Amino acid sequence: MKVLMLTWEFPPRITGGLSLACYGIVKALLKKGVEIDLILPVKEEVYFPLRKEEDADKLPVASPGGEVVHEEFKRKVFKWLEELPSAYKNRRLELREWIFKKKISIDKMLNDLLQILHDGMLFDDVREWTISAIEIARHLEFDIIHAHDWLAYPAGMIIKKFSEKPLVAHVHATEFDRAGGPGERRIHDIEYMGLQLADRIVCVSNHTAREIEKTYLVDPSKIRVVHNAFVIEKIKKKRRLFKEPTVVFVGRITLQKGPDYFIEIARKVLDKTKNVRFIMAGRGDMERLVMERVASWGLGTKFLFSGFLSREEVAKLFSSADIFVMPSVSEPFGIAALEAMSMGAIAIVAKNSGVAEITKYTYKVDFWDIDKMAEIILDLINHPEKMEELSRKSMEEASSLRWENQVEKLLSVYYELIPR
Amino acid sequence: MIYVIFCFHVHQPFRLKHYKLFEIGKNLNYFDDELNERIFKRASEKCYLPMNELLLNHIRKFEGAFKISFSITGTFVEQAYLYRPEVMDSFKTIAREGGAEFIGETYYHSLSCLFDEEEFLQQVRLHSEMIEREFGVRPRTFRNTELVYSNRVSDLIAEIPDFRIILLEGTEKILKENSPLYARRSHNYEHILLFRHYRLSDDIAFRFSDRSWAEYPLTAEKFAKWVADLSLSEREGRNLYLLLYMDYETFGEHQWKETGIFEFMKKLPELLLNYKHISFSWPSEVLETLNYEPEILSVPFPVSWADTERDLSAWLSNPLQWNAMKTYFEILKKVKEKRKMGLMETARRLSSSDLYYYMCIKYFADGDVHKYFSPYDRPEDAYIYFMHVLTDLEKRIEEG
Repeated sequence: MKVLMLTWEFPPRITGGLSLACYGIVKALLKKGVEIDLILPVKEEVYFPLRKEEDADKLPVASPGGEVVHEEFKRKVFKWLEELPSAYKNRRLELREWIFKKKISIDKMLNDLLQILHDGMLFDDVREWTISAIEIARHLEFDIIHAHDWLAYPAGMIIKKFSEKPLVAHVHATEFDRAGGPGERRIHDIEYMGLQLADRIVCVSNHTAREIEKTYLVDPSKIRVVHNAFVIEKIKKKRRLFKEPTVVFVGRITLQKGPDYFIEIARKVLDKTKNVRFIMAGRGDMERLVMERVASWGLGTKFLFSGFLSREEVAKLFSSADIFVMPSVSEPFGIAALEAMSMGAIAIVAKNSGVAEITKYTYKVDFWDIDKMAEIILDLINHPEKMEELSRKSMEEASSLRWENQVEKLLSVYYELIPR
Repeated sequence: MIYVIFCFHVHQPFRLKHYKLFEIGKNLNYFDDELNERIFKRASEKCYLPMNELLLNHIRKFEGAFKISFSITGTFVEQAYLYRPEVMDSFKTIAREGGAEFIGETYYHSLSCLFDEEEFLQQVRLHSEMIEREFGVRPRTFRNTELVYSNRVSDLIAEIPDFRIILLEGTEKILKENSPLYARRSHNYEHILLFRHYRLSDDIAFRFSDRSWAEYPLTAEKFAKWVADLSLSEREGRNLYLLLYMDYETFGEHQWKETGIFEFMKKLPELLLNYKHISFSWPSEVLETLNYEPEILSVPFPVSWADTERDLSAWLSNPLQWNAMKTYFEILKKVKEKRKMGLMETARRLSSSDLYYYMCIKYFADGDVHKYFSPYDRPEDAYIYFMHVLTDLEKRIEEG
């Protein structure tokens, strides 16, 4: 079987969980013998023919119709298109007619989509990528199209139309999750079209599945849930940075991730004990606000900001952490929690997150319940044995959630569409 | 008589490097040596060496009639010895020729007077000792960091009897409609106060090369005329003190050589001395030339020379700055309590006001000035790295 996979993010380009999830999926599929042609938003008109497991890291490059160039992929080789902006404007639209007009031509479809993709750096980049992805796909043969999140839906829809192959739309997050409100109308349009046109929809959690049924009126019989897992190369030993218990937040500092709840939790805990250190890692549109608020409480060196961290540094931070808090207002999955657990940090996660659905050894709390989270942290600080035990269990649990198992579910979705 | 008092602020801080979270507990080298060296050497070539030479020529040429004063910080002197010892030689030559008065201040250019008065006095004493060691005289005139002044500063400085004069900003906030050209007496009768004439000072320091300024180009003749005209308002024969106080880097750094700033300064002294009612003075000479009893001036809240607000907002207007400075002085106290003398010098370098200035978030015109002087892209970064350094220092005190 051969899959044409479209994603906006893939290592080494990392801005969030999408990249990590796609990497895990691709690696595990390759291991099962599935062949993948990967299309990424690079400025050069190339794709990545992945055939063996190690190709997920090597990323061999090919140009469509041309020879396969097995050159090691390096960050410097390609110019990535721009990154996701952190906030969208507030509008909404109805598109049912478009979807259900069965005889709509490819020309009309492409034209309509490109109409939506204009004005604004990201939209222009998605437009550029959509055109180039279609062009590349024209030269390739595949059995199934797998598109991750709205950025890849426009290309996915057109490719489905001309190739007449089934489309799997993978929902890692919707615009409602990212915006923490209604969000950008044009993205809603694309999400709506993409999900309506897709033959199957894969959601990263039950919660997300219910959400898209509600918000995008998706036929529930098309939806399948495949939770994320985490790729662990090897379990590392914990390396402390501070002798006192260390509590971390890692993620974009933006409304969706609940950074304002995290600082309130820190304040409550520090009110009771000074034997603790809080660290906030990441950047985002709420960084200054959050930083000023924490500083105004005069918490001194007890609450630190890390500044920008590379992938390796994030892993290092988790390894030095005892507790990871993820008070996201909206978190379709929350792969960072698995990463933190794999490094032996105990995770306190929002009840409505995807990761809460599949983990046993995480604390699951309402994202707004700062009293409860402060209480849990204080309890752990005061019971080092409990903390040690839970740390070990977290590590075990994270390493038991393997992509090898999750990708079986994905394969069965593929086989529903292309009978063996 | 109009006494023109030139005072040049000569300072370089020890800027911090981008000290990462993971360096905490591992790296005691907080300072960006490479950057500090580069900036110091550049300023030496563009400003310190050529401007010292220019001033020295004036001093020799006018045989005592041309006078200037310097406020040189301890961190500047340390960097001069580290990076460009010739700069120190040239300042010493000016001192030997008797052309300059050296002004007292905090050694580290700190705002310690606001958080730790004991530390403030220690830093002022440390600075006086340094000036005496380097230039052979103890300072008699005091100016606080960034001209921060309130009654409390005078009260504190009164504990060091050498000081008889204090320089401060001639802002309407404290002078109302009254002229900054008259000396005043501090609220406690301890000090004579002289005021920076911000308009004429900034005409040179900020506006000199501003083409959108109505008075552009500023010629030495025009400036000398403005100074001469200042006496028109004075009818009672009282001496006027025109304090022209500016960053030394104005000459060659902030105003490039190409703007003609050096030519301006080459011509200005002679043009000023051509007027019979103008002469140059050192700040401390006010004790001899004062021909009236100065009015008392009480300054209950601190003022400074910075930004349009002339207050502390450049260093303490947002919570980042406040938390950083408050936490810093708490940790400095711990260094003293635990007698970690080996960490003292490093710790004290972190008191330099510049490091807090980089955390300033104010925008508009002042924001641009801040950005010009900052080694960071964003004030948040200045805060992040500073707090990492403080955390390391604190760890060393508590664990080491």
